[in-house]
Formats: sequence, C-alpha cells, structure tokens
Amino acid sequence: MAFSPEQAESLGRARGLAPEALGLGLRVPHYDYVLEHAPQVDYFEVISENFFGAAPTPRARLERVRARYPVVLHGVGLNLLGHAPLDSRYLDALSRLADAVDAPFVSDHLCWTGAHGVSHHDLLPTPYVPELVELAAERAHDVQRRLGRPFAIENLSSYVEFRASTLSEWEFYTAVVRESGCWSLLDINNVYVSSQNHGFDADDYLATIDFSRVLQVHLAGHTREPNGTLVDTHDHPVAKPVWELYARAWRMGGPFPTLIEWDARIPPLLEVLVELEKAREARR
Amino acid sequence: MSRSAPGWLADFQARFSSMLRTPLDRASGTLTAATAEYDPQLCSEALDGPLSGAAERLAVYNRQYWFRLFSVLHAGFPLTARLMGYWDFNAVAANYLLAHPPGGWDIEQIADGFRPFFEDALDESAPDWRLALIESVRIDAAYREVFRAERSPPFRPLASDATELLTGHLVPLPALRIVEEHRALVVLRTALVANPSSATVELPPLLVRPQTWAIVRREAGTASIPIEAREAELLTLLGRHSVGDALGCLESACPAEERAELPDHVRAWLARSIELGFWCSLRRDG
Repeated sequence: MAFSPEQAESLGRARGLAPEALGLGLRVPHYDYVLEHAPQVDYFEVISENFFGAAPTPRARLERVRARYPVVLHGVGLNLLGHAPLDSRYLDALSRLADAVDAPFVSDHLCWTGAHGVSHHDLLPTPYVPELVELAAERAHDVQRRLGRPFAIENLSSYVEFRASTLSEWEFYTAVVRESGCWSLLDINNVYVSSQNHGFDADDYLATIDFSRVLQVHLAGHTREPNGTLVDTHDHPVAKPVWELYARAWRMGGPFPTLIEWDARIPPLLEVLVELEKAREARR
Repeated sequence: MSRSAPGWLADFQARFSSMLRTPLDRASGTLTAATAEYDPQLCSEALDGPLSGAAERLAVYNRQYWFRLFSVLHAGFPLTARLMGYWDFNAVAANYLLAHPPGGWDIEQIADGFRPFFEDALDESAPDWRLALIESVRIDAAYREVFRAERSPPFRPLASDATELLTGHLVPLPALRIVEEHRALVVLRTALVANPSSATVELPPLLVRPQTWAIVRREAGTASIPIEAREAELLTLLGRHSVGDALGCLESACPAEERAELPDHVRAWLARSIELGFWCSLRRDG
C-alpha cells in the first residue's frame, strides 16, 4: 500500500522500529536463553502488568533484555471499556514502566477486563455501539497523551456477539482507532478466530483496516474446541489459514513490524523462532 | 479525564461478571460450564452463532475465567496442588476464589490470601494428611513470598557495629522465610518445579526427625538452605527480639545437656546467617 509521505513519516516515527522488524513476546521460560545466546530477534514485547509489582527478579531480567533489544509494552488490564473510569494508579505504573524501558510504543486491547471492583483477567467484549466508540476513543486518546508516546489498540478475538450491537466488530474497532487519534495493533489471528466464530469473511475485516495506522501485527496459535469454536489460546504454532491471511495483509498494507505470541504450553525458544522464519516466508 | 460510561454498561458488565464467576459443575467428573445457572437476561442479550447457541458461547468465557485462575494457583502452589491432585485442589481453589474474587491488575495477587484459607478448609478427620498439606502449603507460600519480596541489600556489619550488636535488632531480609517439614517436601517441590506436570505425586514418607530450611532469594535465584532446628529457633527469636534478649531466650529454652556447647554454636550460626545474607540491617532502639 502506498502511503503519502506524511503518513509514512508519521508511521515510521510512531513505530520506532524497522518496518520489517520481527519480534517475539518474551515469556519467563525464555529469559535465560535470550540472555545467554542473544538470538536474532529485532525486538521483544512484554506484558506490562508482569512488571508493575515489587518483585525484583522480573524487573532485573527485563533490564538485562532491554540493554540488548528494543522492548515494547503490551497490556492486558487497562480496561478501556470498563464502566468505571480508568485507574490512574494503573496509568502511573504503566507510564513509569514505559519510561524505564523507553518503549517505542505501548498497546492494550479494545475490551473490558473487570467491573464492580472485580478483575476478571480476561479480554471481554461489549455490544458494538457508537456510544462506546466515543467512550473508548476518548479514553484511549487520554492514555496516549498521558503516556507521551504512541498508544496502539488491539482488536479482540471474540466468542459471542450481542443483539444490541449496531456496528460490526471491524466497524467498531476501526472507528475507535480513527476517532482516538491512536494507532492500531492488528492481531491477524484474532481476526481469523472471530471470523470463524461469527461467520464473517476475514478479508472483509482486513479491507477496512487503515494500514497507515498499524504500528504492529500480532500472530499466535489458537485451539479448536469440539463444537468448532476457535479459542485464542496462544498455545500452538500459527495456523495455516492465519499465515494465508497474514500474507494477504502484507500485500495490502505491508511492510509492518510483526510479533509472535506464545503464552501457554510454551516450547523451547528455538521452536518459537521457527515461527519468525515462517513470517519471513509468508512475506515473499 | 474522560467522560462517564453509560449506565447500561455497568448493568451489562454486572450480568456478564456474574456469568464468569458461575462455578463450574463437578458432577460429571470433569469441570463443565453450568449454563443453566446463567442470568437469563444475559443469555437473551447474546446471539446464537454459527457453531453454538448463546449460552454455550458465553461458556467459553466462563471456563476461561476459572481455568486461568486455577493455573495461577497451580503455579503458585505447585507442591500442594500436585500432592493433593488438581481435581481436589481445584475444589478448594474454587471456594477460595468465590470468597476472594480477584481485585487488582496483577493476576499473581489472587494467591495472596490462599494459604490461610487452604489451612482452614482442610478436613480434620485425617490428621497426618492434614499436617502434610499444611506443611506443603506453607512451603509453597514461603517460596512465593520470597520471590515477590522487595529487594533489600544484605547487612554486612562493620567493626563499629560490634559494640551495639547485643542491644540492637537484626532485621530479617524481606526475602527470607524459615520452614519446617516432617517429610522431604522441599526437595520434592524443587523436583516438581523443574519438571512441570499435572500428575498427582505420592506423599513422601515421614523423616526420622523434622528438617528445617531457610528459603532465601539471592542474585542468582532462590536458595533452599538446610539449617539445624536450634539454629532456626535462634533465627526466629532474632526476628522478634534484640540480639541479647534472643540469646537469653534461646539459652532458657535449651536443655541443660546442650548449654555447654551453645555459645560456640550461637557464634557459628550468627556468623553463618550474616555470611548467607539473612539480615538487611541492625536496628538500634532509641
């Protein structure tokens, strides 16, 4: 996709990474290998909340990784669509961490994660309505301003839809990104999972994406339940149809930094690095 | 800051939250979503999909909620979960999570109150088994607390500290716990952590005599150091009293036949505790 010079410059500045960069979600079982062998990875992404606490070991490891690699932050607890206002203590902690690792950008999901004082530690959907576009966009805009660095919003994988929705999942997502003035973290596996669970065409979703706002693409594996439902488990290699969708996205809007997530039943790092090779292949 | 959310969103999220926390049904011998228990209004708000009906679609989230939280407790209490077996452990865990739903953004925090809840929940009809599980949950909790404790450099005394040592209080390192076992549980835990699995393990036989351990975090990781029972008693007393008072308490509690050798032992144990970095400072009262 050809962007205007202004778009290209703005995108490059916001990413802070090479446009073809390949990264990995850094998880505990891989720290020792990464620190000892310094594998060929362009950048790492860490889960922000894992480094908010007082425990010094995770933070010390992160500092050692950061000394060698760029690190971007990915949150799972912002609660952008929670009924309660955003938690300012959370934002303070996120801001301090982003400053500490000098993260090129920070991201979280278009979802809610807790309500009425209970944190569910899951990425939960709402009805897709204009009223919530405005709410999420305004909050995301405030987050980006408070962090003082680019903030990217990730699309959700979902397992249920609601009667009250007046927008499609992709209309809702793209509207929030556009109206917030923030950026997009496009998870291709999530697009595929939702498309299978709800019976829409994943290419219709991709066609609405403004790739001039995509800071990063995520890829991960999923699991198929006995009734056919796909669940975004991050415990398998990336599935073939997702690679095919990724290749089409690359042709539509590439190049873009791409990151592999593997969060459960985590194999040795060398096996995860194979997924990066597959990403290189898919781009050809 | 941003605008307020619409009122209906709070109501919708209350219904959804209630669905998430609906306990999984154990009657079939596997954990299954009890969809009949879901709020009918929430089920009517959700749409049937091409692969399953509305309630079954919601059940994906219900199962994920429980299994995610169970997995955090399995990771935080690996010895206890593997000794007890995941099935029975999850039953206690579910009751705990219903009583103490997660409140913060750090998912690891859900385990903070688990040890006392677990001890209270244990069946008193099998005292040996109960004692073993109490020891195991305390050992797991000790490792967890040591890992999460704040960083604090160890106390390295100067020559000038000697004159105030007896009247001062040695402050224990935040990342230090003392545990006692009647079965070889610390060694078993180390093996289980090195070889993760969900399989239940046998309870080790009783030791000839109880073993005490110091669990301490160092730069290279968490270490488990075997210590003598009297040495553990000294460390515990030092954590509560001034050094002089602790030594007095220890001597009083010591049987007559041990007293002659006690001063030499105490000197050696104190020196070792400082060498191993068990203290973070010497507090002077007044």
